[in-house]
Amino acid sequence: MPSINHETASRAMTATGGAAEVDAEARAILQRAAAVASFPPFHAVHHLLSVGVCVRCIFRLCGAFSDACTCLSLTASSLHSFIEEHDDSVKSVSCSCLATDEAYCSICFGVLLPTCYQDGAVEQLHSVTPIDNITSMISQAVQREGYQVDDFSLEISLPAVVAANERAIRLCMKEKYGNANWFSDKMFSQQTMPVKEALRLLLVPSLERQMNVKHGNNSFRIRLMYTHDDGSQKLLNLLPNDRGRKRKAESRDGSSTKRNSTDDDKNILSESDSFINKTLEGIQDQEFCSLFQLPPEKMLKPCHLVISCLRSPIYIGGRYLKLSRNVSQSCWIIDDERMGEASVEEIIGEHVRAICRGDGYKFHAAGREDIDVRMLGSGRPFLVEVLNVRSIPSATEVQQIADKINSSEKKHVRIRNLKLVGSEIWTMMREGEAEKQKQYTALIWTSRPLTDNELHNISLIKDMEIVQKTPIRVLHRRSPLERKRIIHWMEIEKIADGSNYYLLHLCTQAGTYIKEFVHGDLGRTHPSFGVMLSCRAEILQLDVTDVKMDFLQ
Amino acid sequence: MAEDSAALDAQPLDSSPQRESALDDETRALIVPDAGDLPAFPSSAVEANFARYFVADFLNPGHDQYVYRHPNGLCVVGLAPAHVAFKEEGGITSVDFNVGKSDRSEMKVTGKRKRNAQHLQENSALCKVFTNNTSFVVRCCVKGSLLEINDRLIKQPDLLNTSADREGYIAIFMPKPADWLKIKDKFISYDDYKNLRGLC
Repeated sequence: MPSINHETASRAMTATGGAAEVDAEARAILQRAAAVASFPPFHAVHHLLSVGVCVRCIFRLCGAFSDACTCLSLTASSLHSFIEEHDDSVKSVSCSCLATDEAYCSICFGVLLPTCYQDGAVEQLHSVTPIDNITSMISQAVQREGYQVDDFSLEISLPAVVAANERAIRLCMKEKYGNANWFSDKMFSQQTMPVKEALRLLLVPSLERQMNVKHGNNSFRIRLMYTHDDGSQKLLNLLPNDRGRKRKAESRDGSSTKRNSTDDDKNILSESDSFINKTLEGIQDQEFCSLFQLPPEKMLKPCHLVISCLRSPIYIGGRYLKLSRNVSQSCWIIDDERMGEASVEEIIGEHVRAICRGDGYKFHAAGREDIDVRMLGSGRPFLVEVLNVRSIPSATEVQQIADKINSSEKKHVRIRNLKLVGSEIWTMMREGEAEKQKQYTALIWTSRPLTDNELHNISLIKDMEIVQKTPIRVLHRRSPLERKRIIHWMEIEKIADGSNYYLLHLCTQAGTYIKEFVHGDLGRTHPSFGVMLSCRAEILQLDVTDVKMDFLQ
Repeated sequence: MAEDSAALDAQPLDSSPQRESALDDETRALIVPDAGDLPAFPSSAVEANFARYFVADFLNPGHDQYVYRHPNGLCVVGLAPAHVAFKEEGGITSVDFNVGKSDRSEMKVTGKRKRNAQHLQENSALCKVFTNNTSFVVRCCVKGSLLEINDRLIKQPDLLNTSADREGYIAIFMPKPADWLKIKDKFISYDDYKNLRGLC
């Protein structure tokens, strides 16, 4: 393998005006390609070279691309020599395809070389092939972020202008050779391997070696985003209905010079990529030929590459207890002011996120309780969805999260059974939420003492139906409705003789407003506890003692 | 049933393991309060959850009303204890939400955005209360959307006589925050109202 960048190699060799020798490896590949049924005559292939299509794109267009194309000695120069051997009409002296200007492929902008430029200095290691160079850049990017991965998937995004270029070349060939007896409409279209697929074939094996993991499932995605501002802008300018956009880009600062924020430019261009695609779809070949220069002009800059990684979310679930009457379940901030001291969501979510080294989190719970209501007993099932974690926590690390929260000074929240779970748990939690029963204990006061008989009779009541109008305290943000709910059972115990205070234990259907059931909400919940006993009843404290759900126990 | 006969003995709850509500010791320890800490008369739900405002002689002598305002902005409107209607022999005998131009009991407010709610002024008529000999017009007192009227009053007007301050409320309004700020200083507190009317 040559020890210098192959790009420089091909140029050095053509500086003399002649074509390079074809080495054995390249020859074998070229011979195999030429034998492929869909391979066009040599002079046509040479024409592709002369309009600036790179060797790999030629192989793609002719249906001859394979991983053999990683071969470094497969250069424009050696292809030219090979053709020259087989076709006398092609001569190496002053052939335009051997020109020394620094042009990149007129279809792929050199993406298949592979080459690119990135923001900031890029180390070009001399002993490394271009493919390995790119994949080591990718591998370094993954390592820099601190990801620990077991597999990966590769997503490639190319600027829309690449597809436009390919179409231009195809139409160019059709125009020149359309009437030849070897030409069929299938040529250069159906047998063409897409650029993305070719790039994938080139990069994946090398990337697997660099990162020491296999290409496979979707949970860790590496995204290669190629853009070509000049090419995209030129294309945009050629398309009809573009005048509006052009004016917008120019008139921002009253002049036609570039605006300051490069980010803004990039945003405009990616919106315009979908505009380009949509518009091109609607343009027939004939109109296309009239709008575009065929063949396309040579490109002097390669694509810009941005490498980004994203891991799909992981889920950590368990049950929480809320021991404070001044902590809300979810983050509650109105006008920059926090209600209550803290929130369960933030306490749990932040600890989980930090240990998993994630970018963010979403908190999901099976139902909720008011800020002044404690959650006791076996706790309420919850899930924390953690985004883009750098490493998937081990069982020990998960235990660390639980220990940290449980041993915290403030004692607001307790965690039980914390563990890594699959995303299907989220669906399970949402399913049947409305049917799940909840158990409570309320500290209540009555306006007159209750007799033992009354206390006993309460415990006999099973599945009592009540109707609740939307409580006044939530009426500002919920629909005014009447909701039927069921009180499954009740049990009541006296706190102390002569005090009129009782502990009311009850089990109700999901969605029952307990406080309103006790005090009646000005008669809008009926029957209320007070009405049942023909007295006034008030509730001082409420605790949830059981959330009856099967999972995350 | 065996369950029933066992229940008739009325065993103390915490010693029987079959009770559905049986809580573990740790939970019980958290829940059971210290009887000594409990006040003899706790605040009522209204006192604890609303700010109570009163207005005396609204547009007419003796037309005393209350406005209970919830922190979420909603206002419950009703007759204050010293309203002149209560002084009539037999008290209030019926309530009519038909105030001429429209029947307030016919509106249908729907959805979170409270569509179809009527926008009324402070002086708009809300309803009419009838006694044996006469009738009194009750006004809105607040400017805003009328969300709900207490239709129980239609079948049970006696609620006004027995608990005008709770189950006998008349209507619920949603004023705009700006509109509330404009009128809130016209009201007086419960204590000031009590003193004004000489109530205990």
